[in-house]
Amino acid sequence: MFDCFREVNSTYPKTSHTLEHKRRGGLVFGWLCTYVPEEIMHAAGALPVRITGHNQETELEDGSAYLYVNNCSFSRSCLQMGLRGEYDFLDGVVGGSTCDGARRLFDLWRNYIGTPFHHVLSVPRKSTAEAHALYYQQVVRFKEHLEEFLGIQITDEKLLHSIHVFNESRALLKSLYELRKADNPPITGAETMEVVNASFRMPKELFNEHLKDLLRDLRASGHSNNSRARLMVTGSVLTNPEFIKSIENQGALVVAEDLCTGTRYWSDPVVTNENETPLQAISRRYLSKLPCARMFPSDERFRRILDLARSFKVDGVVSEIIRYCVSYAHDLPLLTDRLRAQGLPILALDVEYGTSGSGQIQTRVQAFLEMLGAKKR
Amino acid sequence: MIDITEKKERIESIIRACRIMQRMNKARPDARESEIIYYDMLSNYFTRLQNARDEGKFVAGHTVFFPAEILYAMDIVPMHTETTTWMISLFTGECADLLSAGTALGLASEICTPHRGLAGAFAAGALPRPDVMLWSNLICDNTAKSGELLMEINHCPGFFLDHPFQHSEDERKYLIGELDSMIRFLEEQSGQKMDWERLAEIIACMDRQIELFREICELRKAVPSPFHTQGFLELLTIDYLFPGQPEAIHYLETLRQELADKVERGVGAVSSERFRLMSFFIPPMYLIGFLERISQEYGAVSVTEPFFTYWGEGRLDPNRPLESVAEKSYMIPEVRMYGPLDDRALKSIVGCVEQYKVDGAIYYADVGCRHTCATVKLFKDILNDMDVPMLTLDCDVVDPTFTSEEEMRKKLEQFFELLEDR
Repeated sequence: MFDCFREVNSTYPKTSHTLEHKRRGGLVFGWLCTYVPEEIMHAAGALPVRITGHNQETELEDGSAYLYVNNCSFSRSCLQMGLRGEYDFLDGVVGGSTCDGARRLFDLWRNYIGTPFHHVLSVPRKSTAEAHALYYQQVVRFKEHLEEFLGIQITDEKLLHSIHVFNESRALLKSLYELRKADNPPITGAETMEVVNASFRMPKELFNEHLKDLLRDLRASGHSNNSRARLMVTGSVLTNPEFIKSIENQGALVVAEDLCTGTRYWSDPVVTNENETPLQAISRRYLSKLPCARMFPSDERFRRILDLARSFKVDGVVSEIIRYCVSYAHDLPLLTDRLRAQGLPILALDVEYGTSGSGQIQTRVQAFLEMLGAKKR
Repeated sequence: MIDITEKKERIESIIRACRIMQRMNKARPDARESEIIYYDMLSNYFTRLQNARDEGKFVAGHTVFFPAEILYAMDIVPMHTETTTWMISLFTGECADLLSAGTALGLASEICTPHRGLAGAFAAGALPRPDVMLWSNLICDNTAKSGELLMEINHCPGFFLDHPFQHSEDERKYLIGELDSMIRFLEEQSGQKMDWERLAEIIACMDRQIELFREICELRKAVPSPFHTQGFLELLTIDYLFPGQPEAIHYLETLRQELADKVERGVGAVSSERFRLMSFFIPPMYLIGFLERISQEYGAVSVTEPFFTYWGEGRLDPNRPLESVAEKSYMIPEVRMYGPLDDRALKSIVGCVEQYKVDGAIYYADVGCRHTCATVKLFKDILNDMDVPMLTLDCDVVDPTFTSEEEMRKKLEQFFELLEDR
C-alpha cells in the first residue's frame, strides 16, 4: 500500500517524478519552511518541493564547514546536499525569516549554490491584523518577483486552481489522520510519516490520487495496530520514519504529532470567500495555521497540542528537539508544565536530524513506556 | 533558591567592581578620563537598578537591541538583561551556579549562556524582579524566545516586539505600529505616560551619539590606531545601556578628544603597533584582561568591528521621534547580521578592510551564537579573497569552562606569528 510513497522518499530529491518534470521542460522550486506559500509556485506552473536533508543521520563535514557545528543538523544536512549537487535541478529556492537555522541556510545557499532564483519572505512572529497585513505584502512581493523572473502572470484563476489542489491534499491527509483516532488504527506513525514526506516531494495531483487509493485500501483492509501506549511526537523537523518506527517497535503507537513535517504542514486549509482575493486567502492561512514554536504567543501552539492530545487520546508525549533548535528548546519547560498539568507525561529527547532512534534513545523510550504502563495500572 | 539577602548580591558585585575600577583609574596617572566616566556610568546604571524598588520606580527587563530610549522617556528603569549577565561574568569571573539554575529549569545546554544564565539568575532570585519583561526577535531566536519563560519565572506581564526581517516601507510601518503598541502596554502597566517631548530630546541626543560613534571610528583609521583593543566593548555598552543619554554624550566627546589628541601626537593604543585587526563578535568576558595584555605584548590592536561599531548611514529626526526609534534599529551595526546577508552586509567587510588597513581578523565564535557562527566560513572566504587571514577562536562569552587563557594564548601567538611571517 505504501510502495509508491516509499519509492519517492527513498529516491528523493532526484525522484523519477521530478526528473520527468524537468525533462518535459518544467521548473522545480525548492522551499525551506512551511511559512513559504507553495500554492504560488504551483500556480506559476512550477513543481514546488521541500528542501530536506539526508534521509538518515549522516556525517556532515561540508554542512558543518559552511554552517559551523553549532547550527542545527537539519540546516547543515540540507546545505550539504545542496553543496554536493543533489539539488542541482532546482530553478529557485524560497525561504522565510522563520528561524536562525533557516535564514542562514538561505544566506549560504544563495552565496555558494548556483540556484538561479532566490527569494526570502519576512514572516512576522505574531498573527495580529497588522502582522497579517505585512505578511500579505510579503506574499504579494513574492508573487511579483516570481512573475518577473518567469515572465508570466499568475492569475487569480490559476491561484484558485492551486488552492483547490492543495486543499484536496490537506483534506485527504486529514482523513488519513482521522483513522489514527481509532482504538486500533489501521496505520502506524512510521507509515503515516512516509505518506506525509511524499506529499511535499512529488506533484500534488499525483500524490492526491495515490492517497485516495491508500485511504480506500486502508478502509477495506480491516488491518489494525494494537499498542501498549498511544503517543504524540512534538518538536523539531523530522523526516526519518525509522525514528518513529524505533518507538513503535517497542510496542507503542505514534497516533499524533505536532511537526512541520506532519500536522503543521497540512492542517488548516486555505479558506476562500467572495470578499478576499485568492492571494489574501493564501496569506491568511499561512500566518494563522498551527504555529511553529517561532510564533508568539506560544500559548496558541500549546493549546492546539493539548487539543490534539485529547482528540487522539494520547497517553504520553515524546518531544524530539534537534540540538541547537533553539525555538523548541526555549518552549520545552513551558510545554512540559502545561502537559503535566493535564496529566500527560513527556519524554524529552535531544536528537540530531535524521536519527533513526537507536541506542540510548531506545533505552529512554523503553523506560518511558514502562512508566506509562505503570501509570495505567 | 538563593535567599533574599543574596537577591541584590550580583548587582552589588557589579557596582563594587565598577567602584574599584574607578578608584584604580583615578590612582593611575595615565588613566583615560573617558574610562573614569565609563565606570561611573556603569556604577550609576546598576545602582539605579538596585535601588529602583525601594524608590518606587517601575523596572523593565529588556533584551539586547531593544529601544531603551522609550523607557528613558517614560521614566522607567531599564535592565538590559544580556549585559547584566555579561557584567556578572566580567566582574565576578564566573556564573556556573546561574547556568546550572538555567539548566535545572529545563533549558538545553545549546541555549546560549547569556540567556540560560539569565533565566537561571531570575529563577535563583539573583537579580531584581522586573515589573515587565520586554523582548524582541532582534537579533536571534534566543532573544525572540527568551521572554515568555522569564515572564513565568518573574510572574510579570510582558511585551514581545516583533521586529521585521527586511527593510521595506511596509516593514518600517509595521515596526512603528509595534512600538506604538508597546508604549500603550507600558502606559497601562506602569501608570506612567509617554513624555513625547522627552523622547524627542532623547532622539536628538541619540543622533549626536551616533555622530560621535562615527567620528570615533574615523579616528581609529589612523596608523597607529589610538583606541585600545577591547575598547569597542565600551562603545557597545554605551549604546546598549545609555541610548540618547547626556552622560553618553559626555563620555563619547571625552573619548573622541582623547583619541584625536593621540592621533595628532602619533601615539597608538599599543607602544609598537604591528598588527591591525578586524574583530568579529564578542570575546569571552572573563578573558578581557588577558586579551588586553596580549594585545600590548604583540602590538596587535582591533581597529574595526564591522558588525559592532560601523554604524549605517542616516540621521534621526527629533520631530519624528517614534519613526526615529524605528530608523535607529536599521542603522545599528549589528542589524547587518539580522536581515538577509546581502551584498550590503558583505561589502561592509571589504570596505572596512580597505579603510582601516586591516592585516588580519579574529572571529570570536561563541558556541551558543548560531546565527553569527554560520557566517565564519563566508567571512573567511571574503577575507581570503583580499589576502587577509582570519583566526577563529571557539569560545563562550560567559562560561569560563569552555576556553582557557592558555588555549587562547597559544592560538593567538600562532596567529601573530603567521601575520609576522607575511
